[in-house]
Amino acid sequence: MNLTDIKGILNFSSFRPEPDDPSAGWRKRFPSHRSVFIGVGKASISWRGIGKNGKATEPEVVRGDTKEALTQAASQLRELTDDGWCAVSLNTRYVISLETNLSRRPGSEALVKVNPRTVLGGRYERGKHYAVTHNPETNTSILFSCDEEQTRKIEMMVRDLGFKVGRMCCGTYVLLRHALGVTNVSKGSEKPVSTFFIVCCEGAVSALVQDQDRWLELRSRTDVYEDDVTPICDLLSPFHSRLAADMGITLVCDEPLPDLVEQLKAAMPNRPINDLSQPGLLTTLLLQN
Amino acid sequence: MQIASKQIDDFKTERKDITPPLPVILRLVPLLLYCSIIIAVVLGAIFFLQLQLAIKKREGHRIETENIAIETQKTQSERAALEAEIKKATDIEAWVAGSRPIQPLLVEIARSMGARSSLIDLRIERDPDAPAQLKLAMKIGTDTTKQLDTTLDRITSQDYRTFSPQQNLGRGELDYRATLVSRQQRTPDVVPETPAP
Repeated sequence: MNLTDIKGILNFSSFRPEPDDPSAGWRKRFPSHRSVFIGVGKASISWRGIGKNGKATEPEVVRGDTKEALTQAASQLRELTDDGWCAVSLNTRYVISLETNLSRRPGSEALVKVNPRTVLGGRYERGKHYAVTHNPETNTSILFSCDEEQTRKIEMMVRDLGFKVGRMCCGTYVLLRHALGVTNVSKGSEKPVSTFFIVCCEGAVSALVQDQDRWLELRSRTDVYEDDVTPICDLLSPFHSRLAADMGITLVCDEPLPDLVEQLKAAMPNRPINDLSQPGLLTTLLLQN
Repeated sequence: MQIASKQIDDFKTERKDITPPLPVILRLVPLLLYCSIIIAVVLGAIFFLQLQLAIKKREGHRIETENIAIETQKTQSERAALEAEIKKATDIEAWVAGSRPIQPLLVEIARSMGARSSLIDLRIERDPDAPAQLKLAMKIGTDTTKQLDTTLDRITSQDYRTFSPQQNLGRGELDYRATLVSRQQRTPDVVPETPAP
């Protein structure tokens, strides 16, 4: 036991999870600490500061190449953190796809992170991070993948600017899981939900068709939109003809997008829209989980 | 269908040496430490205040003791003065009591003075070695020894006999010294320590 351990016991930090322990929630790792959530897109970064009381500041955006934008925003980001800890939401260069017949052995959703080959089998590619969400009623799964090189590169960029990465995740994937969790709350096959999930997060869009308990189709694109939401509707309008007539829309955005609901109503008429979007929803989810 | 949403998949490069947090029950260790520090500080403050009060009290006692000592000394000196007064009064009382047997003698000597004579000085002392004897020394203002004879007759009338008389007449004054012994061989009750004025 050295002096640091004694200090950790005396200030109770040893009884909390370590700051870069991904298994623990953000609030447990950083109680009464200011931190910052950074969203990294292809041509922009955005951020929100998290105060000591857990409240998020207003979002700010800097456009440009990731490295240049981070360098430009570094001084502002430093002012928002006590000791440089940040969470990064990766919003570009990832793939979310619908897969079938992945391994369903117990703990496979956790196992795919440490030993993806055993879960993915022939779909496994070296040098990628994976995350999987199984449909408990069918053999389909949502598979997220991104390049390890990309995540390491962003980590290095952030660390070079003096920040410490406490969490790196994909905002779209987090929002998609949130939408699935909020919508599908009945155990087993009771009260199955049919809806068209639309997830928008900092330029990235994912769309999932859920008919009863089945996931039929998933489409995910990054860097679709910036300020104008028309590309979202252009991307999603072909789904309209393939969806069941009574299927509604579940919309989740990290920030409410102006005119998106109206444009979706125009592109997909006669479909009720359940808008789960909230200001700072992604930040809230990252704080809560 | 039910899907848990309370999960966030993390892709950051994980540290290998991440240690789990210590059990919550062990929070008692620093809590007890802080409690003991607080208690120690409180007790220390109480002891310090008590010490200050005790020092003030001791100082008060010391001053009180000094005052009492001064008061005692003053009382003792007053008592010594009173005792001296008492002793003096006792001595006077003893002298008065001791001189009572010879007062008739003194009265007779004073009455023996004639019209042309005067008693200038009269001293009667009791010899500590022979308390039965009185040493008489008197100075009479007279030109003849007749007055002395009268006075000696009066002394004899008081049952005193004279021994070893010495007389000296000159310039109108007669010095006479003798030792008087009572014929009754009576010893006075109280021997005066100081000569009669």
